[in-house]
Amino acid sequence: MVTIDREIHTLIEDLLDTMHDGPGSVGVAAPQIGVTLRVCVVDVSANRHGKENNHGQLCMINPEIIARNGVAVMREGCMSVPDYTGDVERATEITVRFQEPDGSAREIAASGFEAVAIQHEMDHLDGVLFLDRIVCLKTGLFRRKNYR
Amino acid sequence: MTQQPEILHYAVSVVGKDRPGIVAGVAEVFFRLGCNIADSSCTMLAGEFAMILIVSHPRPFSKSRLFDELKPVCEQLGMSLAVRTLHADEVARQETMGEICMVSVYGADQPGIVYRVTRELAEQGINIMDLNTKLIGTHDEPVYVMMLEAALPDGQTPESLEAMLADLKKELSVEIGVRVITPVAF
Repeated sequence: MVTIDREIHTLIEDLLDTMHDGPGSVGVAAPQIGVTLRVCVVDVSANRHGKENNHGQLCMINPEIIARNGVAVMREGCMSVPDYTGDVERATEITVRFQEPDGSAREIAASGFEAVAIQHEMDHLDGVLFLDRIVCLKTGLFRRKNYR
Repeated sequence: MTQQPEILHYAVSVVGKDRPGIVAGVAEVFFRLGCNIADSSCTMLAGEFAMILIVSHPRPFSKSRLFDELKPVCEQLGMSLAVRTLHADEVARQETMGEICMVSVYGADQPGIVYRVTRELAEQGINIMDLNTKLIGTHDEPVYVMMLEAALPDGQTPESLEAMLADLKKELSVEIGVRVITPVAF
């Protein structure tokens, strides 16, 4: 668990700066900038996939997914693994509980692109990259078969 | 100032009857010679195993050296071998700006599915980045499936692509689907 102090506020500023500097970036997690704390920021409001359905800028401390629903596949890339993309399966709706930078508890229901972004950033907190979640379309469609 | 050694690139393809040990056998040669495997795609097609690799090596090195070392290994495995030297400007990565679409085509097997669809795409300047085909279904009712990933040039949309393929879909009596798979970057 992360304790909220001045250092956390500095970390959040660094995360937001990193997100705003990355072209088209919609989120950054602390481990991506070398800090192993459970903190991440997400903002999909400027992204064409997320602009219709979002909670604006989210600064999440100790986030936890307490409910998930639905499954969809999206091709993801990540600035920590440049030049590689893959199809990843994610929940389409999630309920996330976290602490705000002021220490208050908040719970949101996210869906669509914002839900995917939150799951992607929260994976970084557990050291999981999208590469660990790639689903292979080909083997999924065409199961093992004999050609004789 | 130290000068960076010039890097040579080669396209290598190896195809033959599938069995355990093909990748290890070929990779061992690259390892022994000090070649880097940059991009590669290796897959089983029916009972054949097909390897396509872009490998690199700093000068001094030669294509004949690479070929001569790979040849006995491929012969022993019963695989065909081709090696081509890549020109420096072939190695530069091509960036695409437009949407990337997955085009899925399936229907009763018949001659010309691949040709007719890809000809249509080529005429519109649409570049194919990945293509897989598979014959599925039963012996009596074979079904052909083609999945391809294509980069749309500026001004083209998935809808315009789908509309463009509508006549062909009717003519060949196949299903043709287009969906956007442009990666989202996090």
